[in-house]
Amino acid sequence: MNTARLTPSNPAGCTSASWGRWSRLLVSGLLAWHLIAVLLGPLSVPDAMIPEALRPIFRPYQQAVFINNGYKFFAPDPGPSHLVRYDVEMADGSHQHGVFPDLGEHWPRLLYHRHFMLSEFIGNAPPPPDWDPRLNWAQQPLHGWQREYAHSYGQHLLRASGGRSVTLELVEHGIASPDQVLAGVRLDDPQSYRSRPLGTYSGADQ
Amino acid sequence: MNMVSRYLRELIGAAIGGWNRFWFSAADPATLGLVRILAGSMLLYTHLVWTLDLEAFFGRDAWVSPSAAASLMRGDSAWSYLWLVDSRWLLWTLHLAALAVFAMMAIGLCSRMVTVLGFVIAVAYANRVPGALFGLDQINTMLAMYVMLGPSGAAYSVDRWLAARRAGKPMPVATPTVSANLAVRLIQVHMCIIYFFAGLSKMQGETWWAGNALWGAFANLEYQSLDMTWLASWPLVVALATQVTVWWELAFAVIIWPRLLRPLVLVLAIPLHLGIGICLGMMTFGLVMLIGCTSFLPPEWVRAVIDRRAGQGRAGESPALDARPAEAAIPRRRPAGERPPAGQRR
Repeated sequence: MNTARLTPSNPAGCTSASWGRWSRLLVSGLLAWHLIAVLLGPLSVPDAMIPEALRPIFRPYQQAVFINNGYKFFAPDPGPSHLVRYDVEMADGSHQHGVFPDLGEHWPRLLYHRHFMLSEFIGNAPPPPDWDPRLNWAQQPLHGWQREYAHSYGQHLLRASGGRSVTLELVEHGIASPDQVLAGVRLDDPQSYRSRPLGTYSGADQ
Repeated sequence: MNMVSRYLRELIGAAIGGWNRFWFSAADPATLGLVRILAGSMLLYTHLVWTLDLEAFFGRDAWVSPSAAASLMRGDSAWSYLWLVDSRWLLWTLHLAALAVFAMMAIGLCSRMVTVLGFVIAVAYANRVPGALFGLDQINTMLAMYVMLGPSGAAYSVDRWLAARRAGKPMPVATPTVSANLAVRLIQVHMCIIYFFAGLSKMQGETWWAGNALWGAFANLEYQSLDMTWLASWPLVVALATQVTVWWELAFAVIIWPRLLRPLVLVLAIPLHLGIGICLGMMTFGLVMLIGCTSFLPPEWVRAVIDRRAGQGRAGESPALDARPAEAAIPRRRPAGERPPAGQRR
């Protein structure tokens, strides 16, 4: 196996000469534009002065081609996970309970992960502008788009079940430490969960 | 002063030369063809899975309503034709068409057209369900964008096979082009940016520095697909795996380029990404990152593996094989009585 050239090879000996000077200049400008836009995605989170200043110029392009991504996989720290528990009240007064994501219901794994991301999305919202340090987690007000998404999830559940109203609850599942696991604490220990209300919605809320 | 201006001239000349060589050399499209097959297959699988719950995610009464999806992007240039879809039959028609496009992209049929459509569709789906996305979608759309830019159907495609069949000749040698190089270079550079910032952002966290971050991932019940909590007894193993992950991500953008290091870096990518896939239930994400890494495979490696496996001593997909002198490729008929060479005796 020839390992002499590890970059994309050039078997025909072609060089930049195959593109004219002006073509190369034009494409170089476009490359520079595109690569700055790619870099600004991760540089913008958390807020930083230079990306903030360049945002109005590049954001339309970033959004149009879907490159406004931070690429912060499991960063800065792997944290607790989030689930959404729901209780649908049917027209006859009976109740349907459920949670998403649900390994027993959502298969294959990618579909489970899609539902997991729905609950993570609402659970990982930044603190709202009216965040109050005197209140505990469960009492904090919801962020504007947390409310919007909770409403959307609620309406979906009502349409899917034919229910009269639905109550949503955000569940945060903490991570057991190695010492706790060695001491026999299970990962689904009830004490590792805490929850907070996301609201009650009815079909008339649309 | 003379020395300074000479140095600056040399520096600028070297930078321009290096830029031109990096971006504007012509390259065999074999690597891009391989990326097209793999990325097209992953896009097809990703969207096939949407099929299982299509209306719940993209219908009128979806988890994320069109207004909720648009609320995050109001006033921006994000777009999705799926925001406008209000009827079931239209949604299903568009979805089946999307699946057909991704299947055609994977096999390389009408490559130029379907790669453009593939990118448009991938972005439209991603922007319709902003709450249900994760890294897989970011890499899927990135690969679709760059595969669209280059002649990705110029190697390992039904298009080439059909063209050869119509002409009644063996497949012609794939012509090296600048655009094939540009597309592969863009994937490579984008992968470097992804890894670098994935590593850098981990430095903002305490657990990645301390060495127990991977425990936080392994002990997360909602992610877990393989129980790795036995590692509670092996904190140093967790710390080592954590630190290797961070350093590998941080260093990737540098150590992937030297010839001797590249195979090692790529080999290390396999357990890292498959480990995420197997232990944290994100096999699609692990695989799509590895697909991005295939952009670093030199075309001659790709040809050495694929062409040999496909038994392609025939003309066309392998310039290296085609370049052999005819007498080396075709055994010469021996005159009567001539003994075969030693290597051919039984």
